[in-house]
Amino acid sequence: MALRLVTKTLSSRISPKLCSASLLHSHATSFGFKEVREEEKSQMVGKVFSNVASNYDLMNDFMSGGLHRLWKDRLVSKLSPFPGMKHLDVAGGTGDVAFRILESVNSIKRRALQDPLNDDLQEETRIYVCDINPNMLDVGKNRALEKGLGEDKSLVWVQGDAEALSFEDNSMDGYTIAFGIRNVTHIEKVLSEAYRVLKRGGRFLCLELSHVDIPVFKELYDFYSFSVIPRLGEIVAGDRESYQYLVESIRRFPPQEKFASMIADAGFQKVEYENLVGGVVAIHSGLKI
Amino acid sequence: MYRTVVNRILLTKNTGGGRRCLLRFPDLRTAVSSSRFSTTTEPQTFPNRPLNPADSSTSSSSTSFQTSSAAGDIPRQERKNPRAEYQGEQARVLQASLRHVLRLGWSEEAMIAGAKEVGISPSIVGSFPRKEAALVEVLLGLNKFFMDDCLQRLIDRIDSGEELQDLIPSQCIYKLVRFRLEMQAPYISKWPQALSIQAHPLNVSTSFKQRAMLVDEIWHAAGDEASDLDWYVKRTVLGGIYSTTEIYMLTDSSPEFRDTWLFLDNRVKDAFDLKKTIQEATYLAEAVGAGMGSSLQGFVGKVIQR
Repeated sequence: MALRLVTKTLSSRISPKLCSASLLHSHATSFGFKEVREEEKSQMVGKVFSNVASNYDLMNDFMSGGLHRLWKDRLVSKLSPFPGMKHLDVAGGTGDVAFRILESVNSIKRRALQDPLNDDLQEETRIYVCDINPNMLDVGKNRALEKGLGEDKSLVWVQGDAEALSFEDNSMDGYTIAFGIRNVTHIEKVLSEAYRVLKRGGRFLCLELSHVDIPVFKELYDFYSFSVIPRLGEIVAGDRESYQYLVESIRRFPPQEKFASMIADAGFQKVEYENLVGGVVAIHSGLKI
Repeated sequence: MYRTVVNRILLTKNTGGGRRCLLRFPDLRTAVSSSRFSTTTEPQTFPNRPLNPADSSTSSSSTSFQTSSAAGDIPRQERKNPRAEYQGEQARVLQASLRHVLRLGWSEEAMIAGAKEVGISPSIVGSFPRKEAALVEVLLGLNKFFMDDCLQRLIDRIDSGEELQDLIPSQCIYKLVRFRLEMQAPYISKWPQALSIQAHPLNVSTSFKQRAMLVDEIWHAAGDEASDLDWYVKRTVLGGIYSTTEIYMLTDSSPEFRDTWLFLDNRVKDAFDLKKTIQEATYLAEAVGAGMGSSLQGFVGKVIQR
């Protein structure tokens, strides 16, 4: 107890890279650059996403210049989905990643027409989209309807907390979390939950905005993040605060190497990461054996 | 050669060499405190003596892997990992996939079937090293493994003596190449696909290296001690013989590939004959040169004397 108090006072003064305990603690209590109590963090994040839900996809397009689509494509191609797969997409509210996986699986099916076994497997594919925020899930469900996937029983929309998943142990072939892990209160809990629900041979993939180290590019990126994005949020979505939180939370998130070690600590093997756009986005992957 | 040597050492001693694993750990130089993250991982032993589809005998090798990480503030004990490590599992999946190749080709489907057979989620197929195109890399992973495995068995065969010393080099070469190609015989119906995968620009460098190693091993076993230009010539020639025989084998429908072995025999003989011919031609040139030289010397001497 005493230790926690000490680290709490220290963390506000010393750089958060000090030690893992305080880093995780500081993540749990940071709302962007503000300090908040742990219990409050998830509520505040909830409010942010309820506010942005309706404009989420539009803002993504604006902020990344449409690149987020390519990033998600890359994530799904790394996953290499197969028919009959049980997949869990956490914090995947609006369904971007889930739709891509479904498309990929269906196209594989068309390719492998010669194998009669696959027809049965096709029926078994299940993609669970889990999100803590019901507004985001609603947006996702509407998009599914628009795409004509409303009746598709492969897509299952579940409301749930990434830190306490309602799925059984060893039940998922794949787990993805795209642009979501930044917002959780306890990263290590999410990682250990991910480890729990994955089967042997299952893969964990995390797509997240990360740290840029390239000298000149870093300055440009910082300028873009802190000056352009909140302004854009104000104009397009009418919500400057949420987008200020967004860019700040990116800076507070552990850098690539640190995050990779956290994934390894959760028990994953073959932990790697791939930087896209010089580190603006990183895809971390791990294997459960 | 390096790799085969390393393999042999790893097989016998089961201790670490020096191959960095893909785990990355930060070095917190910027931190105020001196907490340091380091992870050293010792490489696993490569699985040896894998499945031979012809005689269907399996022996799996256990892989041992040690992960130790020492952190500043979060103490972590050295973990001797009793669970199977991912390379071992990947190897097992590849092994099992080989059984499906004949039916499904060198493809992701074969690997997925292999994974299911072993009882591991087919997601692991996605974790095989990829370069750009997902499917090609998966294919590469399977094919490359197969080549390594055949090479390994060839080496074992060589090591076990097998009356190779008694044979003259051309016989020796014939036997070894034949033995190696026989390993591919079960997959011959899908082999053109495998060759096309190897020829793919992304995979060319790896397959070229493997071929070079193979050729080197064969010559080494045949007792070659050349160290100059000869070394390259010999290997190039053998590479040519091997490749042409392999391609001949693709369209050979004779029982037990008799025609292929005949073809191989002829090519090996040709190569050795050619070598002899070149040698003789060199001697002749030397003799002529010497003869001409001395008579020229005598002539010039006489001219100068006058």
